[in-house]
Amino acid sequence: MNPGRDEAEAARRLRDTISTQFGRSLHIRTLDTGSCAVCEQEIRLLTAPHYDLHRLGFFFTPAPRHADLLLVTGPMIRAFDVAARKTYEAMPGPKVVVATGACALGGVYPKDPFVHGNAGEVLPVDVWIPGCPPSPLALLHGLGVAVGRLAEMTPGLTFIADSAAGGGEA
Amino acid sequence: MPLWFARGLRRGVVTTRYPARPDESAAWLPTPPAFRSRQLTRDVADRMVAVCPATALRRRDDTLIFDVGACTACGRCAETAPDAVAPSGEFELAATARSALIKEIPIRGGGR
Amino acid sequence: MNPLDILYGAAGAWLAAAVAGLLAGSWRPGLRACCGLSALAGAAAAAAGGWSLVYGNTPVVAPGPATIAGGPLQLQMTSLAGVFVALLGIVAVALALYVPRYHEPSRGTGVYLAACNLALLACLAVLAAGGMVTFLVAWETMSLACYLIILRHPRSGETARGAFWFLALSEIGFLLIVAAFVILSAKTHATELDMMAARGHLVPGGWRAAAYLLALAGFGFKAGLVPLHVWLPEAHPVAPADGSAFLSGVVVKLGAYGIVLFAFRLVPVAGPWPGLVTMGAGAASAAIGILYALAERDIKRFLAYSTIENTGIIVTAFGAAMVFRAYHQLALSAFLLIAGLYHVANHGCYKTLLFLEAGVVEHATGTRDMDRLGGLVHRLPRSAVIAFVGTLGIAALPPLNGFVSEWLIFQGLFQGFRTGSHLTAILIVLAAATLGLTGGLAIYAFVRGFGIPFLGMPRTRQAAAARETGQPVAGPALLAVACVALAVGAPVMLAALSRTARTVTGTSLGPLLLPGKLTVIPAHADFSAFSPTYLTIFLVAACAVPVLVYLAGRPRAGSVSVPVWDGGMVSFRPRMQYSAMTFSAPTRVTFDALYRPSVSVRRASDDDPAGRSGPVHYEAQVTPVFERYLYRPVVRAVEWLADVIRPLQSGDVNLYLLYVFLVILLAYLLGAV
Repeated sequence: MNPGRDEAEAARRLRDTISTQFGRSLHIRTLDTGSCAVCEQEIRLLTAPHYDLHRLGFFFTPAPRHADLLLVTGPMIRAFDVAARKTYEAMPGPKVVVATGACALGGVYPKDPFVHGNAGEVLPVDVWIPGCPPSPLALLHGLGVAVGRLAEMTPGLTFIADSAAGGGEA
Repeated sequence: MPLWFARGLRRGVVTTRYPARPDESAAWLPTPPAFRSRQLTRDVADRMVAVCPATALRRRDDTLIFDVGACTACGRCAETAPDAVAPSGEFELAATARSALIKEIPIRGGGR
Repeated sequence: MNPLDILYGAAGAWLAAAVAGLLAGSWRPGLRACCGLSALAGAAAAAAGGWSLVYGNTPVVAPGPATIAGGPLQLQMTSLAGVFVALLGIVAVALALYVPRYHEPSRGTGVYLAACNLALLACLAVLAAGGMVTFLVAWETMSLACYLIILRHPRSGETARGAFWFLALSEIGFLLIVAAFVILSAKTHATELDMMAARGHLVPGGWRAAAYLLALAGFGFKAGLVPLHVWLPEAHPVAPADGSAFLSGVVVKLGAYGIVLFAFRLVPVAGPWPGLVTMGAGAASAAIGILYALAERDIKRFLAYSTIENTGIIVTAFGAAMVFRAYHQLALSAFLLIAGLYHVANHGCYKTLLFLEAGVVEHATGTRDMDRLGGLVHRLPRSAVIAFVGTLGIAALPPLNGFVSEWLIFQGLFQGFRTGSHLTAILIVLAAATLGLTGGLAIYAFVRGFGIPFLGMPRTRQAAAARETGQPVAGPALLAVACVALAVGAPVMLAALSRTARTVTGTSLGPLLLPGKLTVIPAHADFSAFSPTYLTIFLVAACAVPVLVYLAGRPRAGSVSVPVWDGGMVSFRPRMQYSAMTFSAPTRVTFDALYRPSVSVRRASDDDPAGRSGPVHYEAQVTPVFERYLYRPVVRAVEWLADVIRPLQSGDVNLYLLYVFLVILLAYLLGAV
């Protein structure tokens, strides 16, 4: 019995389930854990005509009972712990947690008596989307990665610009 | 109402085709920096670490550790060391592991 | 052998039960014996009532030398009264099963049981009365016995008030009924009801109208027609649960019986206007009843107002039947009479059931306030299921019995165009529209009436502590079975009622009501059709499909149980759920011209000079329109009159001697002339 292989197998099955079930129809519940609301503005732009989230089959829902994906912004202030856990537990499985914005990724606020600083301290985050704020295109990419529709690019990026012209690397 | 509809028809479809096709407006986005490791010196690195407001940069011996997740694309590191920093142009930065967002950049420049 | 013979047995059993209750009711074996006798009597009465539906009218019997109030005791079992007697029987059996588990034998129980059985006997006598005197004596006995029933726990001041309202309005009604009967009897020179009916042509038109109006008002007091209804919400909450059930289930129906008796048998008036007045009174009662029901937190007051609503529906049906008869639409008239009688039977069953369940809830939790209950479906599961059957019935949801009888009434009203008179047709349509409003509000009210106490989470510790052990279940369960039987057995019931309608109105509906294949049509073949049986089968099948889909496709993995989603609030309390008053707030806002609410809000920050926040006190009262603007002026006028007359009773002996002298002088002068 190879526990590593079984785990990997279970993870693969889970990813397949998520891809099949959520790939073309996803309900997203946003959770603001104390952000400055600029991430929320970018998230709101997703339903505007230029980006049109609905054409991809993704929708927003306020009820965690109907949600498949939890989109967390903000640095996870400690006063919000109980509410965040209750929201996560109210979502039926399978479910995905996406943390977005530099605050939620632990960048902007250090851990202190009022703030966790990192959404991963309270919730089991599956996908991290950097940005301050993340542009709607970055959010679309991140959501696509979360449901297995798009490939993640970051492991292949080095952020070393040693070739002649500027610009990123891959 | 019909006037508005006609104007909209004339303008055409404004919705982006992303992710099926690339979006032109992506070129205007502020993005995290990419570093020219040959222009980096320890001194330059320390100056950038001091000026970063989001604690995205740390120096460990001869490595500059860059946390892409913490970066807010404010541009102060570029302002401090314009030779060593260039915009990366990458905005598709989602990752399934937090560690995949922490990049190590060797400091290969000469000098102190 | 006719139904009346069986009723002698039932009457004897109830009398024996009354005596047994009086003597031995304070001990548990005596209580059980009394209830057993009562149940036997009830079963006999139900059988006799059902039989008399198809048997027709028995002849008038004056048993032996018995006299009552100086006149002969005259008994007759009519087909019309058969429905009411059958209902009385079923309700009596249900109550007899309920009382042993509900009442604790104590000092007052003996008198209470005697009063109950005496009331049952008196109701039977009212329904089986063949003569005016018997009817009136039985009616008054029933009123007084019901007064004793309401006064079961006389220590609380509210009980005395509720019982007083009942008695006062009962007596006023009785006065009007006596007046109506006296007019008829004087003009026809008869005291037997059959003779009065046969000699009806001797009564001139003006007197006929007066007699009918007096009867409508007099019986309307008992039935609960607006504005004569004010005793219902006062008396029902304070009476014990089986007493309230009896009042709403049977006694109120006797008022409807009186109206039908006068309208169809004793004094059928030729023109359409008595029918229109009756129909209007019924429609207004229905709408006003349910609107006031939506403003109530007390379960029993809520059910009392719902009784007023259903009385309105029944009286509307009877009024419309009178209107159609005036326009010679005899088939429709008979059809609406059948519909009204069917609704009487249905309402008797489910309202009694709901009152008994209200008693169980009060027993288990100690409160009748809906806003203190919640989550009882987990703690009182059997009672919840039975109450749900009753709720489905009273909200007139298919496939239960309330839907069948309300469908019949609506189909009858929709054919108002057949009268040929535009004004009448419009008025009938208005009545139908009012009943439609009532039906919608009734569903809303009963979603609230069942959902707030039974569903959700318990709002107080008493509600959470409710237990089902020791609660009466058999009595309400019997009534639930009766509700389902009345729904599924609708063709049988309608066949029996059409025989009754033939006896009362002379019109035979036959294939115009039941053309075969388990279908019902509203007295005309080209209007509409409906099959209660097929509807039941279809609905059961339709509900089974999602259940089967779920059972076949549900996930194999176990499910996780998590707390209720409360918006993430950190300190969620069950009191934050929907309350009964907030649920009905939209209605109170829309109809505030009727409710005229007075709202007072006091904030702790109002008094605090620093403006610190604190508790907010909110109080909303619905203005009691009828008590304030109708009854209080009348009472004041009577008191004023009494003040004016008081000097006559000065206590001065000389003045009294002067009165004696004046009366003798007057008698002498009159005799001389």
